[in-house]
This record gives sequence, structure tokens and C-alpha cells, in this order.
Amino acid sequence: MKSIKIGLFAILLLMSQACENILEEDVVSGVPIGYINTPAGFEDGVKAVYSSLRNFYATERGMSLTVFGTDTYTMGSDGSFKFVNQYTSQLDPRTSLLTEVWNEFYRAINTANAVITRADAVTGLDPTRKAIRVAETKFLRAHYYFVLVQMFGQVHLTLTENTGIVTEAKRTAIPEIYAAIIKDLEEALPALEAKPIDWGRASKGAAEHLLAKVYLTKATSEAAKPEDYTKAAEYAKNAISKYGYRLLSDYARVFDQGGGEINDEVIFSVQYTNDPLTNGGGNNAHVFFLMEYDVQPGLQRDVQNGRPFKRFRPTNYTLGLWDRTVDSRYEKSFKTVFLANNEKTIPKDAAGKPKYVLGDTAIWLPGYELTAAEIAAKRYQVITPSKYTPKLYPSLTKFLDPLRPDRTTFEGSRDFLAFRLSETHLIAAEALFYAGKADEAVTFINTVRRRAAYPGKETAMEITPDKINLDFILDERARELLGEQHRWFDLKRTKTLVDRVKKHNPDATANIKDFHMLRPIPQDQIDRTAGGGSSFPQNAGY
Amino acid sequence: MISTRKFGGYLLLFLATWQTSLAQQSLLIGSATDRTPVATYGVPQNVSRIAGTIRDAESNEPLYGVSIQAKGTTQGTVTDVQGNYELQVPDGATTLIFSSTGYQMQEIEIGGRTTIDVLLGVDDLALEEIVVVGYGTQRKSQSTGAISSVSAEEIGRLPVTNAQQALQGRAAGVDVVSLGSRPGSDVSVRIRGRRSFSAGNEPLYVLDGIPLSGGLGDINQQDIQSMEILKDASATAIYGSRGANGVVLITTKRGKTGRTVVSYDSYYGISEPLNTVDLFNGAEFAEYKRESRRATGNYNDADPAAADARLFDPVELDGIKTGRSTDYQDLLLRDGNQQSHQLGVSGGNEKTQFGISANYFDEQGIVYNQDFTRYTLRINIDHQISDRIRVGTSTLGVYSIRNGEGFNPYGGALEENPLGKPFDDNGKLIFLPTTDGLRTNPAAEVVPGANIDETKRTRIFSSIYGEIKLFDGLSYRLNFGPDFQNGRYGRFIGSQTNNRRGGDPTAFTRNSTLFNYTLENIVNYNKTFSSLHNVNVTLLHSIQQDRYEEFRTDVRGVPAETQEFYNLGAATIIQGVGSTLVEWALQSFMGRVNYGFNNKYLLTLTGRVDGSSRLAEGNKYGFFPSAAVGWNISQEEFVKNISVIDNLKLRASYGATGNSAVQPYQTQALLARTVYAFGSNGAYGYRPNVIGNSSLQWETSTSLNIGLDFGFFKNRLSGSVEWYQTNTSDLLLRRQLPITSGYNSVLENIGETSNTGFEATLSTVNFDSDNGFRWSTDFNFFTNTEEIVSLYGGQANDVGNNWFIGQPITVYYDFEKIGIWQSNEVDEATKYQRKVGEIKVRDQNGDGKIDAADRIILGSDIPDWSGGMTNTFEFKGVDLSIFIFARQGNTIRSRFHDSNNNLFGRYNNLDVDYWTPNNPTNAYPRPNQNQEFPVNSSTLSYFDGSFIKVRNVALGYTFPNSLTNKLKIQSLRLYLSAQNPLLFSNYVSEHKGIDPERALAPDGNNQERSSEVNADTPSTRLFLFGLNVSF
Repeated sequence: MKSIKIGLFAILLLMSQACENILEEDVVSGVPIGYINTPAGFEDGVKAVYSSLRNFYATERGMSLTVFGTDTYTMGSDGSFKFVNQYTSQLDPRTSLLTEVWNEFYRAINTANAVITRADAVTGLDPTRKAIRVAETKFLRAHYYFVLVQMFGQVHLTLTENTGIVTEAKRTAIPEIYAAIIKDLEEALPALEAKPIDWGRASKGAAEHLLAKVYLTKATSEAAKPEDYTKAAEYAKNAISKYGYRLLSDYARVFDQGGGEINDEVIFSVQYTNDPLTNGGGNNAHVFFLMEYDVQPGLQRDVQNGRPFKRFRPTNYTLGLWDRTVDSRYEKSFKTVFLANNEKTIPKDAAGKPKYVLGDTAIWLPGYELTAAEIAAKRYQVITPSKYTPKLYPSLTKFLDPLRPDRTTFEGSRDFLAFRLSETHLIAAEALFYAGKADEAVTFINTVRRRAAYPGKETAMEITPDKINLDFILDERARELLGEQHRWFDLKRTKTLVDRVKKHNPDATANIKDFHMLRPIPQDQIDRTAGGGSSFPQNAGY
Repeated sequence: MISTRKFGGYLLLFLATWQTSLAQQSLLIGSATDRTPVATYGVPQNVSRIAGTIRDAESNEPLYGVSIQAKGTTQGTVTDVQGNYELQVPDGATTLIFSSTGYQMQEIEIGGRTTIDVLLGVDDLALEEIVVVGYGTQRKSQSTGAISSVSAEEIGRLPVTNAQQALQGRAAGVDVVSLGSRPGSDVSVRIRGRRSFSAGNEPLYVLDGIPLSGGLGDINQQDIQSMEILKDASATAIYGSRGANGVVLITTKRGKTGRTVVSYDSYYGISEPLNTVDLFNGAEFAEYKRESRRATGNYNDADPAAADARLFDPVELDGIKTGRSTDYQDLLLRDGNQQSHQLGVSGGNEKTQFGISANYFDEQGIVYNQDFTRYTLRINIDHQISDRIRVGTSTLGVYSIRNGEGFNPYGGALEENPLGKPFDDNGKLIFLPTTDGLRTNPAAEVVPGANIDETKRTRIFSSIYGEIKLFDGLSYRLNFGPDFQNGRYGRFIGSQTNNRRGGDPTAFTRNSTLFNYTLENIVNYNKTFSSLHNVNVTLLHSIQQDRYEEFRTDVRGVPAETQEFYNLGAATIIQGVGSTLVEWALQSFMGRVNYGFNNKYLLTLTGRVDGSSRLAEGNKYGFFPSAAVGWNISQEEFVKNISVIDNLKLRASYGATGNSAVQPYQTQALLARTVYAFGSNGAYGYRPNVIGNSSLQWETSTSLNIGLDFGFFKNRLSGSVEWYQTNTSDLLLRRQLPITSGYNSVLENIGETSNTGFEATLSTVNFDSDNGFRWSTDFNFFTNTEEIVSLYGGQANDVGNNWFIGQPITVYYDFEKIGIWQSNEVDEATKYQRKVGEIKVRDQNGDGKIDAADRIILGSDIPDWSGGMTNTFEFKGVDLSIFIFARQGNTIRSRFHDSNNNLFGRYNNLDVDYWTPNNPTNAYPRPNQNQEFPVNSSTLSYFDGSFIKVRNVALGYTFPNSLTNKLKIQSLRLYLSAQNPLLFSNYVSEHKGIDPERALAPDGNNQERSSEVNADTPSTRLFLFGLNVSF
């Protein structure tokens, strides 16, 4: 019996292993939310708010939503989002591009809210530095709301962090949203640095530029106030004059790659880098505007010429925008010559001899018509405007990324220049024009145009105040800022979207309607909000 | 092959014999109900020494290791290899007890003899009816649970890589679907449907008593003695929080008392694809490409020569001229083969039994660079230290190498232009066979060294036990199961591949280690009172802890391709590094009472309390009770007289089980890392990502099961039918939040699902003639209706996730294709913003536009019914078995019917009947060079996935003893077998499919996905030759 007692004791002993602490869960690899309240966590929270910029700028979604379906660009042969250009019924509340922007921006807004809400609780951080970071965060929050309000109209406005489960949401009146955007920016402006130590952080100049654009846009919105244009002009002029920004002498140099895309014209750029660890999805803008050069005789795909997705094809309107005798920007925006890089497919003459050698011209896009005889006289392929197809058309070069390590790499490293000084000039011009100061407006336009002139043609590029009107401003914006993710907003702001698209974009003419001035609210947002469509109604027409 | 009855013997030996003094206790072998009458021999007298020989009553073979005990004394002995024994019998002993596991115990009065020879009869009843249940074994007649067994014979007959595959079609209610055809692929196993959206629906696997972390890929199926599938709450509730998806108990083969047996089992087979994808040949491709230009007005039929010259590149023109039609699939495919060699040694004496086996398994896939090799070593030992104490272990060592797990060149091969020239005239590979810069030569993918995709796994798993018999009927057992796993994945992608297209080579490695242990204390009490009341009580305390660590490195720019992934530091760019630690623990208490009255009325009560580290304080513990009753009708007097009825038992169970598969750390509010940069300086950030939900608890499944077991005509017709209903509530569901809250979703316990089903299992002996011809059939059939009852929105559907009330967890929700817009329908097409030649889908709501509201539920990948049938014929040593498996009424999505069927005029395409103005078909749309894929192209990919497969036909011959005895071998069997020789499916015969049997593993969030057949390694047919020999 003794052994039995020992046995029972042993059992009890083993049972007593039943201790609680093995069920305790320690987070080791992960980071709990309280981290934001530490100095390092607070800094990391701010950085996280920046990272959402990459979701929109230089991505398929940001590009498709701003370049497509405008007067400047229609569709090439490829791609999944042609309906965004065509405004067919496929452009509906389930459009993934819209949902993605909506979701990412609201995540960024909640992160910004967390950073701003928790700032007071963070101890051990230099107060000036803290104030700068809060100001940056407010700048970013304002930016996200500004994009949302333009795309979707009345959106949900929340300025405090959510920590629990929230299913309520409502569509806030547009004036209230603009008020919040302006409040954030005006509060941020004094605290921001003029020249941030870290390239890419928000600066005073960036805040002034954004304020200018916000007022300019607000001026045509439901929130319009009489002084909006004056304010817009004032902020734009501040941005232009106060911080040492300068237009480069050569338009082409603005888009030079390398050295971090840092130049005097850049006011705010979305950061990409050649370090794959911190480049995320990278700058993808290099693929969308290119024609299918790589299957043409004498050519193959390479890093210099890029990966041709043939998504965005310039409209005839766009191709006719420049006076190419004086304005250098057509030549500096489009690729006109492709040099042979594939010996095997170089065409042969009757004698079986290659018509040209590597490095010679393989394709020339003169941009104007030639006679059949002229074309026949060329050894290489000539693609004149009448031969443009959805696969072959002038390719925009400003986003090309020849520094990618190989021709397959999709994650480009160049920064995306979101705010640059020539746009500030055009914002000032537009604001001053509407404020009734065409004379002053013209000076800003002419500054931009003179820079764009071929050497010696500066005067020919200048315009007089009587030439200035909305169409001219929009045309000039297209000439200067083509493809830079402004166009859809420009047409919406100036309420010319429907007219101009009908007129210039043949693939969308039949379908675009007035209601397309707003994008559909993502269906997920409506379905998931308590009360559904009655508490979060869809935009009309969708 | 080892028979079931012998198997039962091993099990009993392992689990029960130590508990009782062998000679005295009858309960362990089920109190031999059917004793042979014993003759009485004269007047007793004192004898001191008795000897004799013991043989098998049937075969007359001598029996080794039979225990002989003088009744009422401690004196005993065992027989030697010749079946002989010798025993000194003390004064007063009058009776000897002869016992051996698997045989009927006999008591024989000594009657003054000095020589007693005995013929022991096989104990059919006791042995055949033993089933393994959780934490023990049970006589089947005493069991109240719904349990299916798959025997070693059935498992061994299929040459599968993964033991789970052997369950396919063998057990009612168990739906096994292949996840792929690359060697080493897993299968999806779902028992009685799916209950959970995101907490996992994989059953729990228990190997030799220890719950396994992960699937069964490391287990050599030839080591498996049996698999028991526990299905209803009565059987699974003892696994509490892990029982909801069913439990598969795997028992490995153990040594047995007796002669040492050396066995060698081997097979070698050759595999070939079931079929290849039917694509356009060169001429068809050229014509389809022309049509894609005609559609946009870019092909001038008036001057085809000039139009061709403009359209095609020189390689294509040459291809058209010379009639070239390159079959790129063929360049990837080879003859596959599969082989397995197993050497086993087993045996033992009364105190110690052992079973050792070593196995080499190798499968060379039908696609180059895809193979799987596994070495396993199993050592099982049981040792009786004393009358009371027994210890043992089963230890498994595995080393496997898998190539090509993440390597799929097949999609590229299907896209490649057949007019292209893959090799130059000197046989040198041409990297870009056409001018298309995206389309590299698929053959380049399988150039040795270009793609290395290698997974190496090492695992040591042990199940160690010690048992002590405390006093009459009460025992204590300690189980300890350490499991050490080490994995290394290495991926190298050379420059000349489609992935790199001439860019710098990349390399990636991931190393992981997992340590998991289970420690269990089990107390068992088993006693029969007054010969009527049988009581069995099991108490358990168990803890399990799991620790997983992972390290990864991802680089680009490996200097020399020969370095593969073995010098990551030399690479020019680090693309990513990472490491992870995941830990969890589980603590459980369980109690079970089995009560049987007179073998007629049975009651099982179970309760288990589980606590998990994954749940928050206050919600860590959950309680899972169940109750079951059984009625052995055939034991009733009024039935006993009905001679045709051998067995009739009615069972009913009701109980709750749980699902614990919340990922660790889900209850905590966590941040996610973001990446940004300021200039060239990295700027990693952290932002709110997960709302912690500290109120998370277990998913609970409550199930009712009613079953009837029957056996008629001397069990020539036997089987069971089951009906069940399972309601699962508190589902761990990602409740979707409006993103304006900052969060996309929160994991909550909301929503309900239900599964209702019917299962039938039938075994018949159709012929059993005196001349030795025997034909038997095993048949199973089952249905399961899976239904979402409620979601977080109550009765509202979640369209975004394709979750609909009243529908299965996964459905296909899309537009319905009704044809192609024809030339005479221009106006109607224009109204819908479509063009002639494009896909016509139904305007379900008739609102004159096609938008998201016109999508409908097209079907589900859940079959209406599934079943399996095995016919076995035996005649004079020849055996033939035919195994047929069917799934009917399910829909599948065949992705190469949309992704490889874009009719874009650039990539090769499925050879389909496409629309042209001269061919007004309603089958497929018109090719169009400006359309990467047709509008609504996904509607081309849905098909009826019903099929009937002849999974296996095996023909074997067992050499007669007369011959094998001369060769000094115990047994010898040779066999030929064909896997998947025939497949009947509309998808295959009418729609150019290859094999509709395919499931998709759950996604990264563990969420169930509808099955998809992708462009991947085709299913195979395998013909093999095998040999089983033992000495």
C-alpha cells in the first residue's frame, strides 16, 4: 500500500503543474499600442502617417484615378481599369482602386489622430521637436482629407483617435471638412520648419502651397467664401517668394533622376528610395505611359526604355497642346526616338544586309505627318500621328526610371514630385485671375512659360492679360503638369470635367454624366456603417 | 498485410496488458464470452511439472509467448518460439490458464496430466471490435461515438505521399481533396463540413496519443497501423476545445510478442500526366492572333501577306512558314516515378516488444525540378518493468527534402507563343523565343540551377509513456510527447528566368524551429460490479506548449549563380530580413465516465475544461460537456433469437466541442510596421493595426448525432448509418468595420453556422465460396449541408466576403454568362455598354445595366454527396481490389479557363471555339488585341466539378506457404497497381479540364477559400509494381 500512496502523491504533484502562468501571453515579436506614447513610438507614428502617401502617389490607383477619364489621357491597349477612363457602369462602388484609397487614407487619418491625441502624453521629447512633428501630422491629415473631399464629396470627419469598435459614421458637410483642413494647415504652418533636416518632411512652403490649393478648390465648392481666391493667391505667393524655391532653367532637368530628386523646384515630394527595404511598393509611375516599343523591329525591352504597360495614351487634345516651335515641353515630355538595341530583329534590306546597326534610330515618332515617300526613304520605322494605335503612341518620359536595377523591377526609386513650384505659379495665376487680377496672374503664367521656351523663344512664349481665361489656364496646366496626378482634380475643381471629357476623350464621350464629378463611396463603407445606406448614403447616380 | 485482428492484439498488448495480472484478469480481452467447453479429466492429484505445446487452432502453427498461469497462484511462464512451455505447478493448483492477446483465453483443469497441449482459438469477438478512442481503447460494442476506422490494409494499398490522402473515400463524412499535384503537396481534410470562417477547419491529428502540431506530411503511411476518425461530440468532446473539426487518431505499428519478423516492403512506379492543357497549335495561334487584330480593324484581309508581315515578328513568320508548333508543356514534363522501400524488424518477448522500421520514399514529379524525398525511422518499444509498471515509447525521426514547392513554370508554358523557337539550330536555348520581352522561354525555368526551390525538414517526434497499476482497476499513466521540428526553405532564382528576365539573381532563405511538447497525466479506473455494471472512469490533466521561431533573409544580386542561397552576405542588396517568435500554451482537465449495464445500455459522460494562452484573462477557460447513450439491441432477449441479426446498436450523442484556432496575440491591440524614407534614410513607422478584443472566446459547436450500427447474416452485411446536426456559434469572425473608424475589422465571436448530414457505411461479403473465392465490398456515402445561419449583421449578407445567409461558407458569386453578343444584337449590346463578340451576361434585375447588383450565387464547391466503394476479390492467393471515389454536385472555378483564355492575341490560349463574325458561337468571346482580358471573363471559369474516379486498381498474388516455406520465408506477395487509371467528369470530357479535384488552402488569415483549379502541375496517373516479403 505504501507504493500506492507514493503513487497518489506523485499524481497530485504532477497535477499541481496546473499553474496559471503558462497561459500568460507575452507579446515579443509584435508591438503593443502603448508604444506610440514613448518618444520613439511617437516619432514612428508620424513616419507611419507619411507612409500612406505612397499608396496614392505614383501607383496604379493614384494614377488611374487622376490621369484616366480626363481630357488629357485615354486608354492604351492594356490594363484592368479601362472603365475608369470610360465611365461605364463598371465604375461602381466596388471599384477596388477607390476602396483602396479610401481605406488607406482613413487608416492614415486614424494614425494621425492617434499621434496628435497622444502627443501631450509623450514625455521625454524636446517640445519644439514635438510641435514640429504634430504640425507635420496635421499637414498630412489635412492633405488626406483634401484628397478625399475632392474625390467623394461629403466624407466622414473624425479628428480624434478611435481605440474601440466604432461602427457609426456620417457624411460631414463640406464646409465643416474644409474648415478642419484649413485649421490643421494654419495651425501647422507656424510650427513647421522652413527647411526640414530630413528631406521629404512637410515644410512651411509645403503648407503654404497646400493652403493655396485648398482655398482655390474651396472657392468652387459648397464651402466657397468670397475671400477664397485672395487667400489662395496670398498663400501661393508666400510659397513662391518666402522659402528660396526657384524654377530650374531647363524643364527637362526637373525630372532628372538621381541624387534623391532634390532640386530647387520641389516643394513636397513623396519619397521613394533605391533601398528595397524601405521602398515598399516603389514608384510605379514609370510603366503606365509607355508604348509597346519592345516588340518593334530592332528593339527589345531594356531598363533605359522601360517596361511598357501601354495603359495611358495621350488624347489628340493633348498632342495638340504645345506650339512646338517655341515650347520645348512637348519634346521634353515625350520620347520621339528609340535607338536599336536588338541586333536580331533589325530589318534587312533586299540584299539581306541589316538596314541599321545597334544604337541607330529604330523608331522615330516625328509628331507630325510625313509623305509616304518620305517615310519609305527612312531605314527605320516612322510612326506618324495617323499611325498611332492603342499600342503605339508618344510615351511620356518624365517618370522613366532607368536607375532600376533591371528591366523587370517594378518598384522604381525616384521620388514623386507632388508639389512643385511651377504648379504654385499656376495656382497663383488661377486664383488671381478669378480674383479679377488678370494682369498679375499673367506674370506667374509667363514665368512658367518663359522657362519652358526653347532658348531665344522666351518672348514668344509670353502671353498678355487678355489671353488669359479658364481654358488657357487648364491648357497651361496640362502643358506643364501632364500626368502628374492633378488633372482629374483640375477638371473637377473648375467644373469642366464633363464638357472637356466629352469633347476630348473619345472613349468616354458616350458615358460620362454630371454625377461623375464625384466618385462613388466604397460599398464596404456603406455596408459596414451602422444603419447602412440611410446613415451613409451613396453619391447620386451610383 | 497485417490483419485487423492481429492489430487489435498489438493495441491491447500496448495499452492494457500491464494493467492486470495476465492470468487473472479477464476484462482486458473482453472477458472471453465465447469459451470453448473444457473437458474434465479424472481426480486431481499433486503434480509438480507440466509441459506442452500450444498451437493456433486454425493454422496449427506453434504460438510463441503464450502466457500460462497456475490459477490462484503467481506461478506462470510463457511459450518459446516452438510453442513449448514447461511449468512448475505448486501444490493445490488445479487449473491452468492459457492466454495470449488475440486469442480466446482457456482455463484447463490439470487433471493429473503432465503434458497438456492446447489449441488456442482466435478471439474474433473481442479483437475485431476494439476501437481506439481518445485516451484509451474501447470495445466497439461499448462505444457510443461515431467513429470511422481505416485499417493498415486500406492505408497501405494506396501509394500516397501523405497519409491523409489515404482517408479519401474510405470514411463516411471525411471529405479529402487534393491541394495540388506537385510532389509533397498536402491535401485538404474536412470532417463533416466546415464550421468556421477563419478559425480553421482542419481536424486535430493525434499521433500515438499526442496531439500533433501540423499535418501528417512527415508520417510514413506504412508505419500506420490504423487511423480512427472521431466525428460526433461523444467521441471528440474529450478533445474539448480542439474537437470541433473532428479528430483523427493515428496509431503506429508496434512490436508484438513472438518470433522476430523481418519484413521488406517496396514498390516502384512510373507516373504520367492525366492530360495536358489543350492549347492553340502554331497555325491556330496565328489565326487567333489575326482575329485579335481584325477585331480592332488592324488586319487587312485584302492583302494577307502584307498584313501578316506587319503583324508577326520574324520568328513567328518563320514559324508559320515552317509549320512550327512548339509544345512548351512538353518541355517541362518528364516521366515521373515514385518508389518506397521499407525495412522493418519487430518482435519481442513477454516483457519487451519492439518494432523498428526504416523507410525511403522518393517521388520524382512529372515536372522537372519537382520532387520529394523522405527518410523516416521509427522505433517503438514497450517494456514491462514489473507486474505494475510498464514504460514505452514510439519515436519517429524524419528527414525530407522537397523541391519545387513554390515553383510553378506551368502558367508560363501555357502562355508561350507556339510559333516561337525555343532552341537554336545547335540546340542552345533561346531565352526570348519571340520579340515579346515579357515572354521568356519556359524551358529556361527548368535548366538545372536556374530555379532552386528546396524545403528541408527534420523532425523528431516521440510519444513516451509510463503506466502504473495502483490497485484493482485503477491505473495512472504519464504521457510525454516532445516534438522538435526544423525547417529550411531555400529559394534561388537565376538571371535567365522569367522572374528575373536577365536581372540580378535573387536568393531567399527561411529557417524555422518549432518545439512543442505535451505532458499528460491520466488516471483510469475500470471495474465491473456484479457482472452487470461496467464502469470506466478516465481523468486527465494535460498541458501543451508550443514555441515557433523563424528567420528569413531575402537578397538580390548574388554574385555567382553557383552560390545559390548559400552566401547571402555576398549579395549586393538585402531586400528583406525578418524574424518571428510565436508561442502558445494550452492547459486542460478532462473527465469521462463510461457506464455499461449488462452490455445493453451504455452511457458516456464527458467534460473537458480547456484554457488557452491565446485568449484574454477572464476568458481563457472554456467548458465542453457531452453525453451519449447507446443501446445494444442485439443483446436483448427478443432479438437474440433472430438468427440473422448479429449486431444492432442504436446510439445518440449530444455535446459541445470547441475551436481554439485564434492566432496567438489576437486579443491584444497591436501596431503594424510601415516603411517610408526621408531621402535615402529609411523611416520605419508603426501604426495602429489590430483592435485588441479581450472578450474573445472559443467557438463552440454543439452537435447531435444519431447512429445505428448493424450486422446481419453472420456479419456478412454490416455497417452503420449516422445522422447529425452541428450548430456552431460564437464564430470567430472578422467583423468588418467601416474603415472611417481607422480599422478594417475586429475579430469577434459573432455568427452561427450549421452542418447537417447523413452518412452510410456498408460492408458486405457478396461471395464466400468453399473453393476459396471471396468477393467483398466496402461502401460509404455521405452528404453534408453547410449553411451560414447568421453573421455579424444578423441576417444580413456580407457580399464583400461572399458570405450569404443560408449558403455554404464559400460560394461562387459572379455574373451569369448567357452567351456572346451576336451581330444582330448591336443595339441591345450597346445599351449594356458592350460590343458584339463580347461576353453576354444576364441582367438579373432587368434594370438595363450590368452592375454589381446583377451577380448571383453560381454554386459552391461543397458537393451534394461524396462516396467511395472498394470491391475486393480473393481467390487462391490472388487478390484484386478496385477503389472508386466520387464527389458529385459541386461547382469549381477553373482559373486557366479565364487566365489562360484571355484571347488577347498575345499569349497562347486554351484551344476554344471563339466568336468571329463568321462563327457566331455562344461559347467564347472574340479575340481582341486591345483587351488584356474580356469584360466579365471570370464568367468563363465556372464548371460543374462532379467526378467519379477509379482511384486505385490493385492486383496481387500471395505465394502459397508450401512454396514460401521452402524458400525459408514467411510470406511473399507481389502486386501491380494503377492509381487514377480512369476519371469520369463532364469538366474533363466537355471542357478540356484535366482534373476537377482541387481545393485551395485557407488564405493568410486562415479564411476558407473556394476551390480553384490553376495552371499548375497536372494530376498524375501512376502504375507501379510492388513486393511485400517477410522472414
